[in-house]
Amino acid sequence: MDLLVRLVRDKPLGAAGGAVFVFFLLCGIFTGVLAPQGLNETDLYHRLESPSPDFLLGTDHLGRDVLSRVLYGAQISMIVALLAAGLATVVSIAIGIVSGYFGGRTDLIIQRFVDAWMVFPGLVLLIVVISIVGAGLTQMVIILGLQYGIAGSRMVRSAAVTVREQMYVHAAQSIGARSLHTLVRHVLPNVMPVVIVLFTTRIGLVILSEAGLSFLGLGIPPPATTWGGLLSGTGRTYMYLGPWLALAPGLCLTIVVFAVNVLGDALRDLLDPRMRGSQ
Amino acid sequence: MNRKLASLAVVGLLSFSAAAENGNEPPQYGGALNVGTVYWPNSALSWDNADWAWKSNHDTGAIYEQLFAADLSKSEKNGGPYPFRAEAWLPEDALRGELAESWEWEGPLTLVVKLRRGIMFTDKPGMMKARELVADDVLFTFERQDASPKKIAGYFDHIESVTQRDDHTVVFELKEFNSEWAYRFGYGYYSGIVPRELAQVDPKDWRNVNGTGPFQLTRYIQGNIQTYSRNPSYWDRETLGGKQYEIPFVDALSYRVIKDEATILTALRTGKLDILESIRWLVVDHLKETTPELKWSRWLSNAGTFVAMRMDMEPFDDIRVRRALNLAVNQQEIVDLYYGGHAELFGYPMHTEFVPYYQPLEEMPASVQELFSHDPDRAKQMLAEAGFPDGFTFKAQVCTCNPDHMDLIPLIVSYLDKVGVTMEVEPMEYASFLSMMTTKNHGPGYFMSNGHTNPTTSLRKSLFTDQQWNPALHKSPEIDEKIFQMLRTRDEPERDRIVKELVVYMVDLAPYIWLPTRYLYSAWWPWVKNYNGELRAGAVRPGPIYARLWIDQEMKLEMGFD
Amino acid sequence: MQAYLIRRLLALFPTLLFVSLIVFGSIRLIPGNVVDLMLAQNDVSTGQDRERVEAALGLDRPITVQYFVWLGDALQGDLGKSLWQGTSVAAELAARVPITFELGFLALIVALTTALPIGVYSALRQDTAGDYLTRSFSLLMLAIPGFWLGTLVMVFPSVWWRWAPELDDPPFFQNPLKNLSHMLVPAILLGLSLSAVTMRITRTMMLEVMRQDYIRTARAKGVGEVLLVVRHALRNGLIPVVTLVGLQAPVLIGGSVIMEQIFVIPGMGLLLLEAVFSRDYPVVSGVFLIVGVGVLLINLAVDLSYGFLDPKVRHQ
Repeated sequence: MDLLVRLVRDKPLGAAGGAVFVFFLLCGIFTGVLAPQGLNETDLYHRLESPSPDFLLGTDHLGRDVLSRVLYGAQISMIVALLAAGLATVVSIAIGIVSGYFGGRTDLIIQRFVDAWMVFPGLVLLIVVISIVGAGLTQMVIILGLQYGIAGSRMVRSAAVTVREQMYVHAAQSIGARSLHTLVRHVLPNVMPVVIVLFTTRIGLVILSEAGLSFLGLGIPPPATTWGGLLSGTGRTYMYLGPWLALAPGLCLTIVVFAVNVLGDALRDLLDPRMRGSQ
Repeated sequence: MNRKLASLAVVGLLSFSAAAENGNEPPQYGGALNVGTVYWPNSALSWDNADWAWKSNHDTGAIYEQLFAADLSKSEKNGGPYPFRAEAWLPEDALRGELAESWEWEGPLTLVVKLRRGIMFTDKPGMMKARELVADDVLFTFERQDASPKKIAGYFDHIESVTQRDDHTVVFELKEFNSEWAYRFGYGYYSGIVPRELAQVDPKDWRNVNGTGPFQLTRYIQGNIQTYSRNPSYWDRETLGGKQYEIPFVDALSYRVIKDEATILTALRTGKLDILESIRWLVVDHLKETTPELKWSRWLSNAGTFVAMRMDMEPFDDIRVRRALNLAVNQQEIVDLYYGGHAELFGYPMHTEFVPYYQPLEEMPASVQELFSHDPDRAKQMLAEAGFPDGFTFKAQVCTCNPDHMDLIPLIVSYLDKVGVTMEVEPMEYASFLSMMTTKNHGPGYFMSNGHTNPTTSLRKSLFTDQQWNPALHKSPEIDEKIFQMLRTRDEPERDRIVKELVVYMVDLAPYIWLPTRYLYSAWWPWVKNYNGELRAGAVRPGPIYARLWIDQEMKLEMGFD
Repeated sequence: MQAYLIRRLLALFPTLLFVSLIVFGSIRLIPGNVVDLMLAQNDVSTGQDRERVEAALGLDRPITVQYFVWLGDALQGDLGKSLWQGTSVAAELAARVPITFELGFLALIVALTTALPIGVYSALRQDTAGDYLTRSFSLLMLAIPGFWLGTLVMVFPSVWWRWAPELDDPPFFQNPLKNLSHMLVPAILLGLSLSAVTMRITRTMMLEVMRQDYIRTARAKGVGEVLLVVRHALRNGLIPVVTLVGLQAPVLIGGSVIMEQIFVIPGMGLLLLEAVFSRDYPVVSGVFLIVGVGVLLINLAVDLSYGFLDPKVRHQ
């Protein structure tokens, strides 16, 4: 709560970014109420119509209302983004804290694995993994979550190492507090700033990665869709016949990614000016 | 040059060339031809014919020659009857000997092929010296193809033996007549004649692709470009305006592999491509508007599109269910509105160019025509009769590699939804998708395209028990026998009758949700001469066509391209 | 320092082991194996045919044997042959790596030349309109998907002026102008999308530096702003630059897959896609291995240079 007040007071732009994100999140949550039409209500007699009072954002190649599609896209984009970023954060915390707090051989083995994982381009790994498990919402969330979780564990780890070095943990250990207790009481709160910033920026990254995968044909299966899917699919195919098909999803995607990044930067400024090198 | 002047010059040239279109213009040698072929997104998969990968014949078809090829002098461009756009079918009258100088049936089952003399394999350092092609090479090729574990089973079962009578005479002894004899080892996918020296080198390596054809492969970057250079000692000639000319006319020929549709259209628009053979209807108007100089031809896709329904599985083992789903889908609406008219309602399993085998829908029995009508109420009723009053849910795979399928599938989902049937779509990338079918792990639904190949193969591969490309898993000993009978029939009218009977049987059985067959477009710049959008001079083999066209380099320059 | 170096090198081995396992295993797990693909035309694939094809490709041996044979060969520099094309994987990579490397290198230059000035400027003018504006530009480039910008650049200039980037790819030293007219546009797009991250690092570093006591002292003494920035920003700028190289190497390669596809650049990314789709195991493993080892080495160099740049690390 305190953070929120500081954000609004000190970083109005960041707060605006947050507000924009919340706005799109609400759109995603209330899609069912907001969308004038269903997800896949085709009507070939109204195909490729430009925006009009009947269809505020026009219609696509199957006569589906683009506004509704963009709203449903928001829903899935947001679900994927939040769940995957959430999972990524949990994974980062788990790996980072275990590795950083316990140190020693555990740390060594885990870190070598993380090293090995991180040398592979995320997108390339995703291509391979999606080819194995097939495209789908659950798969997408788990894969992106693991991918960014493992990559992000580095930052949590270094924060945890710093905490460990600090006196009060030494003190807690010396009076015989159990490890789990120490972790929860002392380490976790101290890595929270890193975690919060990580979470926000991951949201943007996940949305972009999903778009990249859609471009390569490995996105969410039709007729469901995401902004990335709309942009790389009909957006690109029909860019000559119906430029409006690309406009709305493209703008939404860019605005949200932009907004969460601005928010992330503001949080970073507020929470941890020393966090360097993190994406 | 000043833009205005340039466009004036273009106008002048255009009117001039229109007058000269009928072949009186003397051809020019030289220049490089850049083509986006029909298969522009796909790189060469294999350079070895014995891999039995269909696309090899496309990529090696300018290098390896075959016993037979299309008689391009009978093309529409030259006032003949044939457009030469079908995938892998040449009517007997459109056939000419390529390596074969002549052929003759000595007995009902003995085919004697005389090879042309003086046809030379080109010199390939490290592999072979230039030498004449002889009957032994034909034998070697046949044995090599026949021994490959990747061979289509039964493909050469009609052949008893292939022997040589002398260096330029090959004798085929058949066990039984096969109406595809000319296709299977004459102008088909797997009949490019390779030199015996191939046995001593790695046949997969593109550097070892060496033949007698008009071009030689000189540069290959997988997934990017294949460049062929002119074979200066090529034997064949092209007759233009009554005069004979050495071919090929162009110095270099490049197949461009470009994965992205936006990029390949740009490449055409900026003159980086001279010819783009496969363009979707939906960008045609835009291209005509932004690039009015282009010349165009239209061709009916050589692959049928459908949702296969596995007949060995519930609920599609019931014909009422399969027919109901056909009634649920409004094919005519798809033709008129989705394709904007750029499609045929009925273009598979017979292609409209398969004359005389193609029979229009209007001539079909009423029960066949019914499948192409739209009647959701009747569909629901049939589903109820079959025991699905509330519909059902089934999974269907679709390949993400086909943008047209990806665009179309939500529409099918929506049609089926209206009769209470839910189709769950599983998009997959090409290799996974294909192997689902070839290992028979697909379905119950499977959204795919299947090539027509030729009139008899189209039926054989889709219907014959256990064939790989029989996605509905149709199984019937009587029909298998009928297919044999079709292939054994020498008399063409009789064969035509059997083909038509089988088509009616197949369509009426509704193994698939039948969908329209789309038209595609080819576009080329006006400086490409002696060309009118011909696509294949054999089985997906455009090489001989490219060897005969020439580039008006002055015109290209005047139009502002270098 | 020496001990650190040795420790660092030793740590490389377990990582490499993990890398080799990922490299070898991943592609072989994908459904649709290469034998299925090769038998796609073989209408009735009998078990015998399958065994013959597997044996010819050496895929009939137990997977562990295959792994160790592959590993042994790889250690000797032999990455095997393409299953479809018969070409040597090492030779193919030798042709492709420089192309992707050039694209990445150009992108890096673009990223640095936009990010460093913006980072420094926005740190000096923290929370002013200028700060917001320049940072926003950088973030915006991050927020637009690369494939979309690439498509726009590919399509619209060609519609308006019949201009498009070159499609041919002569090596840089053979025809630098033509080469650059092919590579520059994708490099700029890729570089701009990466600049946001570097910009952030630079900005954070600068903010930190500007708060240091000695800067305040220098400022109090009246040392000019420009001199201050140049002297300290340049020195401290080295660390973000180095970090960027390490962190972004895999990102660059990932991004280049999409750029190579749109701009028809025959680099590693395109090869990888072809190979994944045709299940050409040795090629996929080869590309992965080169990328993996390359990035590991870059990271090693980065870590080592930290040791030089920042005395704290040495004693950690």
